[in-house]
Parts: sequence; C-alpha cells; structure tokens
Amino acid sequence: MNDLSERELIDEIERLRAQLAEANDTLEAIRTGQIDALVVNDQSGHSLFTLRSADRSYRLFIEQMTEGAVTLNSDGLIIYSNSQFASLIQRPLPRVMGNYFSDFIFHEDLPLYNDLLSKGWKASVKSEMRLTTGNKKIDVQLSLNILQMDDDTSLSIIVTDLTQQKDTERELTAKNDQLRNLNEALTASNHDLQQFASIASHDLQEPLRKIQVFSKFLKDKGFDQLSETSKGYVNKIFSLSQRMKVLIVDILTYSKLSANDTLTAPVDIKEIVDEILDDFDLRIAEKNAQIDVSDLCVVEGNRGQLRQVFYNLISNALKFISPERPPVINIQMKKLDPVEAGISSENQSKYCRFTVSDNGIGFEETYSASIFSLFETLNPKTAYEGSGIGLAIAKKIVEKHHGFILAKSKVGEGSEFSVILPLKQPV
Amino acid sequence: MSQIIKNVILVEDDADDRDLFITFFAHRKDIHLLPPVANGLELIDYLKQIASDKDLPHLIVLDQNMPKMNGKQTLSFLKSNERYAKIPAVVYSTYTDATLMIDCKKLGAEMVAAKPIDDEGYQKMMDEFLQIVP
Repeated sequence: MNDLSERELIDEIERLRAQLAEANDTLEAIRTGQIDALVVNDQSGHSLFTLRSADRSYRLFIEQMTEGAVTLNSDGLIIYSNSQFASLIQRPLPRVMGNYFSDFIFHEDLPLYNDLLSKGWKASVKSEMRLTTGNKKIDVQLSLNILQMDDDTSLSIIVTDLTQQKDTERELTAKNDQLRNLNEALTASNHDLQQFASIASHDLQEPLRKIQVFSKFLKDKGFDQLSETSKGYVNKIFSLSQRMKVLIVDILTYSKLSANDTLTAPVDIKEIVDEILDDFDLRIAEKNAQIDVSDLCVVEGNRGQLRQVFYNLISNALKFISPERPPVINIQMKKLDPVEAGISSENQSKYCRFTVSDNGIGFEETYSASIFSLFETLNPKTAYEGSGIGLAIAKKIVEKHHGFILAKSKVGEGSEFSVILPLKQPV
Repeated sequence: MSQIIKNVILVEDDADDRDLFITFFAHRKDIHLLPPVANGLELIDYLKQIASDKDLPHLIVLDQNMPKMNGKQTLSFLKSNERYAKIPAVVYSTYTDATLMIDCKKLGAEMVAAKPIDDEGYQKMMDEFLQIVP
C-alpha cells in the first residue's frame, strides 16, 4: 500500500464518495417509498432486501377495494385515485387525477362539500352527498382523513357508493306509503261497515217495526171480517216481518264481531251450555229431546261471543230434528294437544274440542264447508226457520278465538259440529 | 201508590209513533198525554214556558233518533239543569243495544226500553215507566 501514488489515492476517495452518494440515494428512496426492495452486493454475494414497510401492498389493497379512494393535495386537487373511483364517476383514470375533486360534486351539494373539506383538514369527518357524472347523480358517503406524508399533508377521501342503499331506502319508503294507504283504506272500510251496521240497526228496523205494528193491528182488530185468503196474507206479512227482524239483528251481530273485544277472560263452557239449555227449556220439553252433557272445561275468550257459538249450535240441533225419532243431543269435550288438533306443533298451547252432535235430519257431506258461509241455508225456509247467518257467526267468533269449527254429517242420521278452541289465547 | 193522574210528554219526531202512543194510551185513566213534541229543542221550549214547577210533566218519554236534538242530547240537557233534573226521563228506541243502554244510564235516564210492536207491549212498557214516577 506504501507505494500507492497520490493519483491512486485521489481515485480511491472519488470511488468511495460515489458509493456514499449511491447509499444516500437508496436511503432517500426507501424513506420516500419509491422502492419496494433493494439488492445489496457484498462479499457473500447478492442479497435481496424487501421492505416490509413498502406501500405496494397497501396500494394493491386500495385498488381492490369496492370503495373509491382518492388523495387530495392542499389545493383540493386529486393527486391519486384508485380505479374504483374512476369507474364510479365513469371516467378513465388519467382524466381523474389532476382535477379538482369539487369538479365531481353535484353542483347543489358544493356548499356542503366545501364545508366538509374545511373541516376535513382539521379532523376526520364523514358526510353523505351527491357526485355527478355529468348526466347522472350518485349518492355517496365521503370519509375524509388527513394523511401526514414527509413534510407535506394531504387528504384521503374514501368514497362509498350509496346508490343501492338509497334505492332500498326509497323502495322501503314506497312500501311503507303503500302500507299506510292500505291501512287507511282498511280503516275507511271498517268505518263503512260500522255505518252499515248502524243503518241496519236503525234505519231498516224502523220501517220494519211499523210493518209489524200495523200487521199486528190487522191481526188483532177486524181480522174476522177478512176473507180466508186475506187472513193468510196478513199472517204471512206478520211472520215474514218477524223473520226479517231476526235477519237484521243477526247481520248486526255479525258486523259487530269486527270490533275489538277482549278475548282473555276465563269462560266456563259448562255454565254457558247450562244457561242455553235453560233458555230452550220449552222447546226441549215440547220436542221431548234428550240432552246429554259431559264435563266441559274453562277456556279463555269472550263470554258473550262464545255463548253465541254454543247457542247457535244447540239451536240448530233442536231445529233440524228428524220426524222419525225423538231428538238426542250430545255435548262433549276432549282435551287435545296441538298435533291431535291438526295444528303445527310449533304452537305449544293446549286445545279443547267441543262437539255438539244430534240425530237429526243431517246434510250431505259435500256442504260441510259451505254451511258456514253467510246466508247459506240447505233447507226450505218454510220448513226450518233461520236467517242463514247463525253458523257464519259461529265460525267468525271461533276463528277470532284462534280456533276452528268443523261439521260432519250423514243425511237422515244426524250431524256433528266440532269447535276446537285453545285453552289460552295468544298474548 | 199515588192516585194523581200523571202528565206524560212524548218527544218523538215520527208521526206514526206519535199516533200509536195516542191509540194505545188514550183510554188509560192513570195518565194524561200532553201534546207531543218533535225533538229535544221543542221540548225545552215547551218546558220553559211552564211558569210554575208544579205544572211540569211527571214523565218525559224520549225517542233516541230525532233531528236537531236526539234523545241522548236532550237527556244530558235535562239532567244537568236544576229545574228539570228531577223529572223522570226514559228513552225508548227501535233498537236498544248495550251501548245505548249504558250511554243513557250514564246520562241519567231512569229507564231504557225497546219500542213495542203491539198493545200488550205498549201497556207493559207504560206500567214499567210509571213505577219510577214518584
């Protein structure tokens, strides 16, 4: 080394200087994120150093995001944008960068944006607003965060497309409006029904009562002076007006069932049946009917309404009796679990089946569903009095009590009506 | 039982029903039918022009459905007025449901009845009305 010339030493210094400059450049590149890896040449050969802190993976991540991501400089110019944002505003990526972000804000929302931007330079903020593609508005949420890089501060904006969310919201609002309208229509129609009930109860009954009064007059006074034919007519007018009265009262009862009554009082069915049999005392004696009543239980419900159900069923059993034999009527009860009752076992409540069976004239099984319809009568009116509403009322009441009613019958042998009711009403 | 003939006033807008009242009750010796009035307003006018309290009717029979002032409205006026509150007032109507019964009782009606359809019904109804007249 001693015999190295001054020239050689100067060269060596130059070489080391260049090496130092190169190392400094590398360091600068690493610090500013310009490189992801570097190769170092030393005695043991080439070594590859990847930089874990390199932001390449973050850039990839941002490119893959379903949200738009942009970075603004202090003037609000877009210095970086991912392709998602470009496709959201339907522009090629190069035509996004270098523009002011405000260029893509829907003009009405510019004051909102400017306000948000000034806040965003101080703290993280979020807001909903609309972007524009020139001919279309896009609902978005903007999340602004300050990015501290080198000596420079920039602002990142995450752009979330709210189009689908807004569409869903709009659809939901529309559906809600629709529901509200339907509800109003329903309220109106319920009101109409009440109005109709009121008309049926008063306006129709008033003239009807007068027909009863005046035909009764004819029956009571000067009846003997009438010809036999005329007497027949008067009797018909009187009995028909009686029947019309029953019809109107029954319609009224039926329509009033729509009103909300409490259904949760304990109702002793045995007590109800005994009361009804008391009411039919005369008819039972007159027809020489035999009535067998088994143990009956207590269920939850509306007493007046449940009484109506059993009243109608027992009344029918006493009405449609066979001319060939004295009537025998059985009123029985059996407790059922939901599966036995034919109800989904999801429902845990217990049920009770009440049956009212008779040995009367019966009806053809094909009618076992239609007899529960309004005004359905299977028999000639002259032979069996009735409005044809009784079973419809019974069905409506039973269904209101979350139960159901079934009919079985054989012509000439008798009928059996089953009322299946839950012991407890759902809360 | 007092033997005084009771003055009964009918408040009824329906001409047929007014006639029926007369037809069925004209022969009764225990009551005197005052000329009927057509609604609550007419009744109030009639009562106001009676100078002495002892000449007020013994019983007021109100129909429910009447124009201008119906049975319930009349009842509420009468029962909140010191001079008329003591006069027994009854409501009779073609259709008497639980709501009407309860409403009328709350307003102070002494009795609520369904309009009868024959002589027997009318006589029975009046007998019941008279039981509440002191």
